[in-house]
Amino acid sequence: MTDAVTTNAVTSNAVTSPYGTDPQEPGSELSGFGGADGSPRVSYLLRVNGVDRPVNGAWIGESLLYVLRERLGLAGAKGGCDQGECGACSVQLDGQLTAACLVPAALAADSEIRTVEGLAADGSASDVQRALAESGAVQCGYCIPGMAMAVHDLLERNHQPTELQAREALCGNLCRCTGYQGALAAIEKVAQSRAEAAEAAEAAAEAAAEAADAADAAGPGEQAETADAADPDSLADDSLADDLAGEQFGRDEYPGDGYPVDEYPVYSDVEIPGQQQGEAQHIDHHHPDHHHPEPQADPLFGPMDGLNTEQPPAEQQYAYPVYAQQPQPEPYQAGFQPQAYPQAEYPLPGTQPPGAPEGAEPGVYVLPHQGTHQGTHQNTHAPEAGA
Amino acid sequence: MLPASLDEAVTALAASPAAVPVAGGTDLMGAVNAGLLRPMALIGLGRINELRGWQYQDGTAQLGAGLTHARMGRPDFAALMPALAEAARSAGPPQVRNAGTLGGNIVTADPAGDTLPVLAALEATVTLVGPEGGREVPVSHLLTGLDPMRGGELLGYVRVPLLHAPQVFLKATGRTGPSRAVASVALVLDPGRRAVRCAVGAVAPVPLRPLEAEQWVSGCIDWDGDRAIDPAAAAAFGEYVAAACVPEPQPAGLPDSQPDGMEGGPAAAAARLRRTVSVLARRALGRALK
Ligand SMILES: Cc1cc2nc3c(=O)[nH]c(=O)nc-3n(C[C@H](O)[C@H](O)[C@H](O)COP(=O)(O)OP(=O)(O)OC[C@H]3O[C@@H](n4cnc5c(N)ncnc54)[C@H](O)[C@@H]3O)c2cc1C
Ligand code: FES
Ligand code: FES
Repeated sequence: MTDAVTTNAVTSNAVTSPYGTDPQEPGSELSGFGGADGSPRVSYLLRVNGVDRPVNGAWIGESLLYVLRERLGLAGAKGGCDQGECGACSVQLDGQLTAACLVPAALAADSEIRTVEGLAADGSASDVQRALAESGAVQCGYCIPGMAMAVHDLLERNHQPTELQAREALCGNLCRCTGYQGALAAIEKVAQSRAEAAEAAEAAAEAAAEAADAADAAGPGEQAETADAADPDSLADDSLADDLAGEQFGRDEYPGDGYPVDEYPVYSDVEIPGQQQGEAQHIDHHHPDHHHPEPQADPLFGPMDGLNTEQPPAEQQYAYPVYAQQPQPEPYQAGFQPQAYPQAEYPLPGTQPPGAPEGAEPGVYVLPHQGTHQGTHQNTHAPEAGA
Repeated sequence: MLPASLDEAVTALAASPAAVPVAGGTDLMGAVNAGLLRPMALIGLGRINELRGWQYQDGTAQLGAGLTHARMGRPDFAALMPALAEAARSAGPPQVRNAGTLGGNIVTADPAGDTLPVLAALEATVTLVGPEGGREVPVSHLLTGLDPMRGGELLGYVRVPLLHAPQVFLKATGRTGPSRAVASVALVLDPGRRAVRCAVGAVAPVPLRPLEAEQWVSGCIDWDGDRAIDPAAAAAFGEYVAAACVPEPQPAGLPDSQPDGMEGGPAAAAARLRRTVSVLARRALGRALK
């Protein structure tokens, strides 16, 4: 119980702690059992990078990121947003790349967790980490642990990613410094060097097999087969990459549908009038020391406040995660009667919308306001003529 | 805390009603981290294998609530439910799609939830499992609150029809890269009933079905031939859908600039949204009939 008290004390002093003190109960004393509000504390084992690490007296709502950093002293994963937006906290959970800030640590108890600390073998950086450093992907470095995890994850699944696949793999990792070119270059570099290493290993194995064959005086037919296998065009990696193209990254392979990649409609499909290039201002606070009190002028996109509406020239439209900000349309301001249907009491399961009619047809949204705003009978656009 | 079956989870929830079920945690933990929610106990649904797959049942597919977006985006799934797969592929970055689930997306019922318009267009039903057993509810009733989830219930399965016809999901976002929808359109063809079903997401608290536009456009399609449609009719369909789902941009009386200095006031924003929806609907129809 004393344990819980001390860990709590640490918790509340930690700058990054979202759990420290309960804003609802300022100054409330932490009691022996449970947290400030009596919420239960639990102890469990986390298997991190192959090592079992005990966690004692943790509140059940603590995220894996928090537990890794504050309780286990593994500060590799960084906290940027605690909302899953920035990817600085990326770890692998049972082999799946995940945002550690969104994983309740207590529920990861029987999962295999791999963090950036597990990438370096014997204290020397992994090939991905070295390539990131060498390719100029690192400036302040805050995003790099998460980026390294994402690149490892990508290259484990897809040994020869295309540039599009690489960009999509990095799209959950925000970097405020570099513009992603370095990271993309690093991916290419590692993919290439791993392919070369695999080829070399294969050649060595082949040579060994040949030597063994020669010793055994094997027939020539088998030799031809081996040579075939070494043909770079038939490398298993290639077909694996093809197989996985649609699996992990989705939109460039679409069974039963022939749309080419650039026609694929998910991201920038609609040209929105007034669409504006900007930056992801919402992660400016991602490091306490790097907080920008004033919007900074961006050399490419101009000042942040008067967002400029021009698309940057093609050569400046660098990597995939560049953000265009669209002022969010607020339909409800235009006489949509939002006040009549405040969201809080409206669509949430467990509540009845005010004045909802009874016994509406399945699949038919008969909403109270539909009578007014969905009155397509009065609609001047009603295209009878088109029929 | 980590039940291995749906029954166990329901029992655990009945035993501690204050407990919060958590699937992928991508919505829940955001709220916890922001201090909006302090769960007293968690029931992890991630180990319930029966919820993590799907199976066929007389012409329909029964999808487990624990299917992740990443799983739904895979080609085998996309071959059967292309629009749902497309929605799943666009729902956030890989880190989030590896964890976030179909069930969580429905229960959260975010206006910008990407699977919701698809489920509405498919007229899906959900199976809610509680201490007294299971019951099936149309997803529209669940989302609109006509038939809400009751205390102690968990979302078990989602049943969608297998229509064996083109289905399209299109989404407009405010930025490149993965982000939530400003507007989205799901459109499915139901050749058996000679119907087009369409739902517009993110423009209202729940997905909206422009029923009249659907009915009108299914009359314009040559169902027995090559299912072609006049481009002008497709464009008109777009306008029709947009007019049905986005309120009239208020012509006068409102200031045309917003306090934060963004260009264009609410009227301009509504006009923009209408145009976006109309383009999405037109393209969705065009792709479905291609
Ligand atoms: C960075 C980021 C980007 C995102 N982008 C998108 C996007 O583009 N489109 C989109 O649609 N969503 C997006 N999301 C939201 C989120 O990923 C999805 O809504 C996801 O499907 C939620 O699933 P989950 O399993 O993580 O839910 P959880 O967070 O585990 O649960 C959400 C809620 O549902 C309840 N719940 C979950 N499963 C069940 C069940 N089986 N029975 C009863 N209750 C249940 C939980 O108690 C909780 O209240 C994004 C999230 C993040 C963090
Ligand atoms: S801290 Fe987890 S994604 Fe930003
Ligand atoms: S180097 Fe990526 S955030 Fe600074």
